[in-house]
Amino acid sequence: MRAGLALLLVGAMGLAALAASPAAPAPANPPGVVDARQAHEDYVLKCQGCHRPDGSGDDHSNPAMRGVVARFLAVPGGREFLGRVPGVATTNLDDRRLANLVNWTLYRFDPAHVPAGFVPYTPEELGRLRANPIRLDRVETRARLVAAFPQE
Amino acid sequence: MASFDRLIEKLTRNTARSTSRRSLLALLGAGMTGAAAFPVLPVARAASHTGASGGSAHAPVSSGNIQDPGDRTSCDYWRYCAIDGFLCTCCGGSVSSCPPGTEMSPITWIGTCTNPADNRAYIISYNDCCGTSSCGQCLCNRNEGDRPQVRPQSNNDYNWCLGASSSVYNCSTAVIVGVALDKKL
Repeated sequence: MRAGLALLLVGAMGLAALAASPAAPAPANPPGVVDARQAHEDYVLKCQGCHRPDGSGDDHSNPAMRGVVARFLAVPGGREFLGRVPGVATTNLDDRRLANLVNWTLYRFDPAHVPAGFVPYTPEELGRLRANPIRLDRVETRARLVAAFPQE
Repeated sequence: MASFDRLIEKLTRNTARSTSRRSLLALLGAGMTGAAAFPVLPVARAASHTGASGGSAHAPVSSGNIQDPGDRTSCDYWRYCAIDGFLCTCCGGSVSSCPPGTEMSPITWIGTCTNPADNRAYIISYNDCCGTSSCGQCLCNRNEGDRPQVRPQSNNDYNWCLGASSSVYNCSTAVIVGVALDKKL
C-alpha cells in the first residue's frame, strides 16, 4: 500500500513537471527587439560567418563581441561607433531589420554590460548613423574606444 | 643533278611496277576502318571519360535521403548554389567534412539555397578546408547571392582560410546550419 502511494506520488510529480514545462512563459523580447527569431536568422546570415555562432571572434580576423560589444555603450562615441562600423552600416538589411538585429546582438552576447538606462536603437537612428560609415579608420577608432572602457 | 634525276626515275618506275592502283584503295580502306575503330580502344575511352556528373571523372555521391537529393560531386547539387571553389566531396572529404590533413576554417561565407525536395530555403555555410595546396578537383563557381568586393562580408572571392592557422586553400564544404524563416519582419 505504501509502495503504491509512493508510486502515485512519483507519478503526480512527473505529471506536474510535464505540465509546468510548457506552461513556463516564453522569455519576453529584450528592449528594441521586435522579432528575436528574425534577428537570430539575420545574425546567422550576415554576422556569424566572421563573428562565429557564439560571437567569440578571435584576435587576428574578427574581434570578439561576446562580453565586449555592449561596453561601447558606456564610452562617448561608442553608441555611434556601433551604428557606423562597416559590418553594421553596410549590411544589406533595411533600417528596421538592422535595429532589430543590433539590439538583439547587444542582449544576446553581452547582456551584463548593457547600461541600466539603455535606450534601444531605433531604425531612424541607425539609418542616420549608417549613412556615414567608418571605413579605413575602423581599427584605430575601435582601439581608441576600447582604451576608454571603464575599468572593471 | 643527272644522277639525282636517274635515282628518282628508278624509284618511281620500281614503285609503278611493284604496286597496283587497287593497293592504294586497300590502304585507304584500312586507314578509314582503323580511324573509326580507334575510339573503341580503352586508351581513347579513358581520355574522354564523362561520368554521370557531366564532365567529372568522379563517381556520383548521393545521400540516399529523398529529402537531400542530388549528386554531391556535381556543381548542380542544390547546396552548392553559392559556392566558389573545389568540392571537398571530390577531394577526399565530404559535403560537410574536410579531407584528412586539412583544417576547417572557423570563419565562413554563408548563404541560402533552395532544397528542391521541399522548396524551402536552407542556410548554408561554405566552410573552406585549409592547410594543404589546392585540391584541383570539381571546380564550381555558382555565386548566387554573391556581392561585389565593396561588401566584403558578402563576397565569396576572399580567401576565407584567413581564419584558420594556415591560409592555404584546399577545398570547400557546404554545411546546413539552419532553415530560413518563411515570414520576414
